[in-house]
Amino acid sequence: MSLEDRIEYLSPEGWRQWQLELLQSTLNRVYQRVPFYRKLMEENGIKPEDIGELEDLKKLPFTTREHLAQNYPYDLFAVPLRDIVRLHAFPGPKAPIVKGFTSRDLKALRGLTCRFLTHCGVTSEDIVQICLDPGMSIWIEEIKEGAETLGALVIPPDPQSAQDRLRIMHDFRTSVLISTPSYALHLLHYMQKEGLLPPKSLRLAVLVGEEIDGQNRLRLEQAMNLNTRLGYGITEVIGPGMGYECEEKQGYHLAADYFLAEIIDPKTLRPLPPGQIGELVVTTLSIKANPLIRFRTGDLTQLLDSPCPCGRTTPRIGPIVGRCDGRLSIRGIKISLDYLEELLREVYHHLPAYCLRIKRHHYLEELELWLAINEQLFEPSILGLHRIMEKFQHRFNETFGLPCRLKLVEKEHLDAFAQGQKVIVS
Amino acid sequence: MLRIKNLHTSYGAVKVLRNISLHVAEREIVCLIGANGAGKTTLLFTIMGLVHPNAGQIIFQEQEISNMPTPEIVCLGISLVPEGRQIFYPLTVEENLELGAYHRRKNDPKEKIQADMEHVYQLFPRLKERRGQIAGTLSGGEQQMLAIGRAFMARPKLLMLDEPSLGLAPRLVDKIMDTILALNQEGLTILLVEQNARRALEIAHRGYVLETGRIVLQGHTQELLTDEDVRRAYLGRDYQKFTD
Ligand SMILES: Nc1ncnc2c1ncn2[C@@H]1O[C@H](COP(=O)(O)OP(=O)(O)OP(=O)(O)O)[C@@H](O)[C@H]1O
Ligand SMILES: [Mg+2]
Repeated sequence: MSLEDRIEYLSPEGWRQWQLELLQSTLNRVYQRVPFYRKLMEENGIKPEDIGELEDLKKLPFTTREHLAQNYPYDLFAVPLRDIVRLHAFPGPKAPIVKGFTSRDLKALRGLTCRFLTHCGVTSEDIVQICLDPGMSIWIEEIKEGAETLGALVIPPDPQSAQDRLRIMHDFRTSVLISTPSYALHLLHYMQKEGLLPPKSLRLAVLVGEEIDGQNRLRLEQAMNLNTRLGYGITEVIGPGMGYECEEKQGYHLAADYFLAEIIDPKTLRPLPPGQIGELVVTTLSIKANPLIRFRTGDLTQLLDSPCPCGRTTPRIGPIVGRCDGRLSIRGIKISLDYLEELLREVYHHLPAYCLRIKRHHYLEELELWLAINEQLFEPSILGLHRIMEKFQHRFNETFGLPCRLKLVEKEHLDAFAQGQKVIVS
Repeated sequence: MLRIKNLHTSYGAVKVLRNISLHVAEREIVCLIGANGAGKTTLLFTIMGLVHPNAGQIIFQEQEISNMPTPEIVCLGISLVPEGRQIFYPLTVEENLELGAYHRRKNDPKEKIQADMEHVYQLFPRLKERRGQIAGTLSGGEQQMLAIGRAFMARPKLLMLDEPSLGLAPRLVDKIMDTILALNQEGLTILLVEQNARRALEIAHRGYVLETGRIVLQGHTQELLTDEDVRRAYLGRDYQKFTD
């Protein structure tokens, strides 16, 4: 058995040693090379040498998305800039969040994606069709490369209608669908509406980016006659494959050789024991360009305590039950209201009263932003009004890779609808 | 098989090893690379009990050995081929090998020791040809073979080698590396210290990079071979320290 195959079956003692070694060398590197972390550690009176157990991690302070934005552009790299071979930028209200990759990082990430897909049951025999929104470009990219590395035939999500996608699925005998749960349900709805049969070749759907409830999952499996597996990942942190379901489908196994997971109470910031819901905090263990120490992900979940019947000894988390940082997850894409407001200010030079409406249309979430019309926004001509709306819609789509329809309404109408809420799900 | 946790070693006031954690699993070849003065030899000496740590654990086959005397550690099954091929110059090749099995005399039958000696001769036919020659008159490469042979005669479970390729011609380096690989394939676990990082990474399964007494990187050898820092500092021509 290769080390890659063995790693997930390490003994508890083996894991402790493995993770401790990686944690210590990560801290040695960031202490030497990232002034931000050095300062953070010095302020807390900690040197890398003080970390002798995994539990000592608690002595270190947390980092947040704000820290990432504050240190834009170069200040969080733990390698010389010339070692960075890829750079991703994520939207952030003040500054973009950038994440660099060395070629070793890319290779490691590829390895992790391959592991994730392999555990889901994807093989070199498969024809893998990816149906994800452009806002999930990193997922698309990584899954495409991972599946290609496995030797599968990959059909990336070039812009197509549901109808064309289904046609390709039929004609090219797609065996694995990779999409968000909502898109898979949307496809199912479309098929049922049009009286189409699900492609016979389709045997597996790997669902990523958001959760799916048990009832819808069962419906999907039965109506489409396929198996489903879920995957968890945060692209700003590591990428796809951070968590994956095994054949037992009892929560996500975590890639414990890539990161350490803690669950904390988001209010008191204290660590929570397994079984209690809290915020997932991640410390990367094998990232070179942009290591993260105690990064607060904003995702709410719990650690599962019992050993998994599959025999893997990696830690597991339950489903992501919500978010605690105020960000919304729309079709797998994370949107913060802070950033939305920033965009409104940028486009209209003030912040109008607004309400974001999330609608479900055939299982797909759609966004509608209601703005209270005021003097600054008002334009006498229809064309002018249209232009005003267009401006924001364009900016929003550009930023998040997701459409958002703007609706100008009377202030009273907005107030009656929103009832003081900034977000309405309907 | 070997598990080191939070090891600190100093010479007087000079801290040499800082919070070292490292492990070697059974049947693995693990290499330790690092610049001059990084603390590689000190780490091997600490494992052998030749230098005492200030803090930390060294666990060999579930047994704490950090405060054991060296002979006991040897008896448990750890053997070191030190840097600079330390052999007994006035003795013959065969006498040197016999000395390697010194601590086994009480427990192991003569035939077994004899068979091991034959095995060494099989690994290094050159030594067989020169079995009666005084060790001090051997060439550098032959002395290194003898040093490895002698360590093998202790029948270790874990063999540690400190820069076995130092000062050897490329052809001899090949021979030494091949032998290490062969010993590993027979089941011997190996911890290899090398400045010749490329050669070490070629035969090892995993590696650690030690710098000024700290582990700054580790990974499978394929990962380390593509690692930019390793390439710059240890595989390229112009040497540059990780911390620079
Ligand atoms: N007996 C000693 N007393 C004091 N300092 C020592 C002693 N032995 C070694 N040192 C110091 O400890 C540090 C580590 O030495 P060590 O021999 O372990 O390094 P190394 O990695 O093996 O280097 P090399 O590649 O040159 O063999 C060096 O700074 C060295 O000068
Ligand atoms: Mg040395």
